[in-house]
Amino acid sequence: MNRAKRAGRWFVDRVEDRSVWRHLAVYAASILLLLLFWEVASVVIRALKGGREYLPNPILTIREMVRLGPLLFQNFWISAWRLVLAILIAFSTGYPLGLLVGHERRLDELISPMIYIVYPIPQVAFILILFLIFGIGHPVKVAIVAIALFFQLLVSARGEAKQISLEHITSVISAGASRWQVYRHVILPATLPSILTSLRVSVGLGMAFLYIAETTGSVDPVRGGLGSFIKNNMYSTGQAFAGIIAMALLGLCLYIVIDVIERIVCRWTYTARRPL
Amino acid sequence: MIALRDVVVEYGRGVRAVRAVDRITLGVPQGQSLALIGPSGCGKSTLLFAVAGLIRATEGEIRIGGELVAGPRRDTALILQNAGLLPWKTVWQNANLSLLLAKEYPAATADAVLAELGLSDVKSRYPSELSEGMKRRVGIARALSTSPEVMLMDEPLASLDTLTKERIQDLFLKLWARHAFSFVLVTHDIEEAAFLGQRIVVLSPRPATVKAVVDNPEMGKLDYRESSAFRAVVFRLRAELERGA
Repeated sequence: MNRAKRAGRWFVDRVEDRSVWRHLAVYAASILLLLLFWEVASVVIRALKGGREYLPNPILTIREMVRLGPLLFQNFWISAWRLVLAILIAFSTGYPLGLLVGHERRLDELISPMIYIVYPIPQVAFILILFLIFGIGHPVKVAIVAIALFFQLLVSARGEAKQISLEHITSVISAGASRWQVYRHVILPATLPSILTSLRVSVGLGMAFLYIAETTGSVDPVRGGLGSFIKNNMYSTGQAFAGIIAMALLGLCLYIVIDVIERIVCRWTYTARRPL
Repeated sequence: MIALRDVVVEYGRGVRAVRAVDRITLGVPQGQSLALIGPSGCGKSTLLFAVAGLIRATEGEIRIGGELVAGPRRDTALILQNAGLLPWKTVWQNANLSLLLAKEYPAATADAVLAELGLSDVKSRYPSELSEGMKRRVGIARALSTSPEVMLMDEPLASLDTLTKERIQDLFLKLWARHAFSFVLVTHDIEEAAFLGQRIVVLSPRPATVKAVVDNPEMGKLDYRESSAFRAVVFRLRAELERGA
C-alpha cells in the first residue's frame, strides 16, 4: 500500500538522519532512570521495614523473570491475545457506532440517554452474569474487557464526531459527496487522531479489567494469563513482580504498535507545522 | 446562465422563521462575472449557498443553464472562505476531490491545472505545510478540476495580506479568460468587488435585498487597479454601502 511505503520511507529517512538512534537512546535512558527509582524505592522500603524485602529490587525481579521464563511467556501470550482481541472487538464496534451517534442527530437523541445510563456503571458489576453467560474460559475474559472498552471508545468517538468542522463537511458535499463519502472522507479521518489517543487510554484501562477478569473465580497458574500468574504468586513478591513487569511490557508493546499505526494512518499530523 | 427569480431564503419555520434573503432577482449571462457585496451577516453567503444547491430556497426559483437547482451540481464549483481544504489529504487529493469522489481518475489536465496555479512542486504536501496564499490557490485548483461552467466563491481571499490577495486576483482573471466560466463572487471587500465584478450588486443589511446594481464595463483591462474608472467604481460602491446605513 502506498501509505505503508511512505511510512517505510519516513523510517528510512529517520534512520539516515540519526533521529531514530537518538530516539532509542532517550528511551533506554528513560528506562534506566525508572529502574534507578525502583532500586532506590526498594532500598528505602527495606531500611524502613527493618530489612524486610517488601518491594523486590530490579535485579532480583529480572532474575525471577529469567528463571520463570517459559511459564511467564506462556501467560504473557494468553493475556496479550485476550487484550488485543478485546481491543479489536471494542474498536470495531464502539468507534463506528460512536461516529454514527455523534453525527446523526436523530440517532443521538435516541441512543445518548441509554449511553449516559449504562456508561457510568462499572462494567465489572456485571462480572457474575458474564461468567454465567460465557463460562469460565477465555470468552468471559475477552468479553469483560471488550464491554468496558466499547463504552470508552463509543463515548469518545461520539464526542469527536460532534466537534467536526462544518466547513469540511460543506466542502465535500459541494464537491458531490454521498452520505457514506462524508463519513469516509471527513468524519473518519477527522476523528482518527483523537480516537487513537483514546485507544492508548484504553490499553491501561483494558489491562486493569483484564487483571480483574483473570483473577476472579478459578486461578489457573499455567494458562490463566498474567493476572492469574500474579495472584498465584502473591506471597512470593519476586515472582509476583516478574508478572507485573511482564504486564508493563505488554502495555509498552501495545503503545508502540498504536504509535506505529498512527504514523501510518495519520501521516498528516506528523508533517512540518510551518509553511514552506 | 444563472437566473434567480424572487428568491427568498428563510431559516427555521413558522413564527420563529428568520428571513435571510428577501426577493432577490438577478441573472449572470454565460461567461460573465457578478460580485455580491454587502455588510457582514447580510445574507450574501446564504444566497450563494442556495445557488450552490446546499440550501433550498424557501420561495422563488434558481436556475443554472435553464435547469432548476435541486442540489450540488457537477457543473457548479464552490470555493469556501478558507478554501475548505481537508487537512488529511494532500494538495493533489484536495485539488481533485470532486473527481476522486466521483471515482474518476483525474486526467493529465488535473496536473496542468496545478501547474497553472504554481502548485506542481507541492502536490504531495499536506495543507498544514502551505502558506495561506497557497491554500487559497489549492481551493481554486479544486474548483477548476471539474471544468465547471459556473464558479461560486464565498469570500475566497478574505484575511490575506494585500499583495498576496492582488496577485491571486490577477491570476484569477487570467484563469477566467482561459477557462471561460461564469462566476459569482461574494465579498465584503469593496476593491475586490470592483476588480473582479463585471457587474456588482450591492445588498442591504439582513434580510438581503438588492440595494443597487453597479455596472463595471472596463473591468479586466490591463492595470485596471490604477485606472480612474476603477477609482470611480470604488467610490460609487462605498457611497451605495453607506447610503441609509
